[in-house]
Amino acid sequence: MSSIVIQGDTSGSITVEAPSVAGTHTLTLPKATGNIATDATVGLGTKNLIINGDMRIAQRGTSVSGLTTGGYYTVDRWKFNITTAGTWTMEQDTDVPTGQGFANSMKMSCTTADASLAAGDRVWFDQRVEGYNLQQLAYGTASAKSITVSFWVKSNKTGTYILEFYSDDSNKTASKSYTISSANTWEKKTIILASDTVSGFNNDNGLSLYVWFWLAAGSTYSSGTLNTSWAANVTANRAVGQTNLADSTSNYINITGVQLELGENATPFENRMYSQELAMCQRYYWKIAEGSGQMLGLASYYTSGGVLLYVQSPSPMRNTPTVDQVNGTDYYGFERNGAVDGLGGSFALYRFNGVGCQLYTTSGASGTAGQSGVLWTNNAASYIALTAEL
Amino acid sequence: MYKLVKHYSTNEIHCVNKITGNRVLSIPMVDGNSDYEEYKEWVAEGNEPEPADE
Repeated sequence: MSSIVIQGDTSGSITVEAPSVAGTHTLTLPKATGNIATDATVGLGTKNLIINGDMRIAQRGTSVSGLTTGGYYTVDRWKFNITTAGTWTMEQDTDVPTGQGFANSMKMSCTTADASLAAGDRVWFDQRVEGYNLQQLAYGTASAKSITVSFWVKSNKTGTYILEFYSDDSNKTASKSYTISSANTWEKKTIILASDTVSGFNNDNGLSLYVWFWLAAGSTYSSGTLNTSWAANVTANRAVGQTNLADSTSNYINITGVQLELGENATPFENRMYSQELAMCQRYYWKIAEGSGQMLGLASYYTSGGVLLYVQSPSPMRNTPTVDQVNGTDYYGFERNGAVDGLGGSFALYRFNGVGCQLYTTSGASGTAGQSGVLWTNNAASYIALTAEL
Repeated sequence: MYKLVKHYSTNEIHCVNKITGNRVLSIPMVDGNSDYEEYKEWVAEGNEPEPADE
């Protein structure tokens, strides 16, 4: 067996060893500067802790305008948040950085400006990560890992922006600034955050970490000194230097390829199968059916005025979900005993077991107890979803 | 508007509806559900939901 030893200039060395078998074996190194993954590399496997980082899943819809209150509106897992800082449109967009393999980005556009922010005004979007998915960071131990966030961003408004990490478990924060240098140009940003060996993340299905992209911040959040490593929350230190993206109706920001991984290297974006990404999203939001003529499931009249429907989610949901729905006359159709009944009431959830549950309605139904059949959406505007977002 | 909902057979209140136009969020009264946490904060501020239908 032959080997080459590369001695460090102070101490330590690396040994490169040839295999002890006959034949010539070629190891081709990359032409560009990079890092080689080995079994000592952290973050192999499902390395991206951000879900839907490439913005391709949008179960709720692709565009919502007139936003002045926070909520989940378009691309899955990304929540828009605002305190009196203009009016916004949130979209799933097809504007993407060339040649990076992305099909979508998320776009936030300001449609009513707030050029003079009051102290408490702010706007941001975030992804909320549950504790179960963060245990590999080993926070709160001597083995705690650094993390790296990388993403592509584009805006008409150059300047300083803040990415904040906020632990809901320890009430600690850490904020990092990045600069959008060229207007209307896709730029890749990389942010590295040192670990927290003191405070861990709860090992449960609750909210543990916010990955928080500031777009505007009043003085309440920006009048101090930027807190760049994990420390107890000081509100004034959270978004110091943040550009006010709400100051003009010309302003927008696009983002895609968001990846949060262990270690201190931004590796290529993890492209997961569409079905995998969708299933990950459906742990938090599952649209069962939408529009006219889409199947909801098997149902039965348990009384003359009440209908029971059984549904089973494709992914184990994070927690007992809320039923998100619209109702109206004949919004849902129930085919049973050779006829179709129109249903118009709302459904409530019962007996949730992690994946399956029964939905029931006692309003807007009239039939014969004991008859069963199939239930579907019966209006272009109707939908039923289960939501267990953080 | 929040409105309490009674269970169809036990007749006990087990969820609360948040109604906005024709959109209804039927919220289970389960800790950790973020909609229920928001509802509890709303109640803690001194607000009261509409009673359940009899």
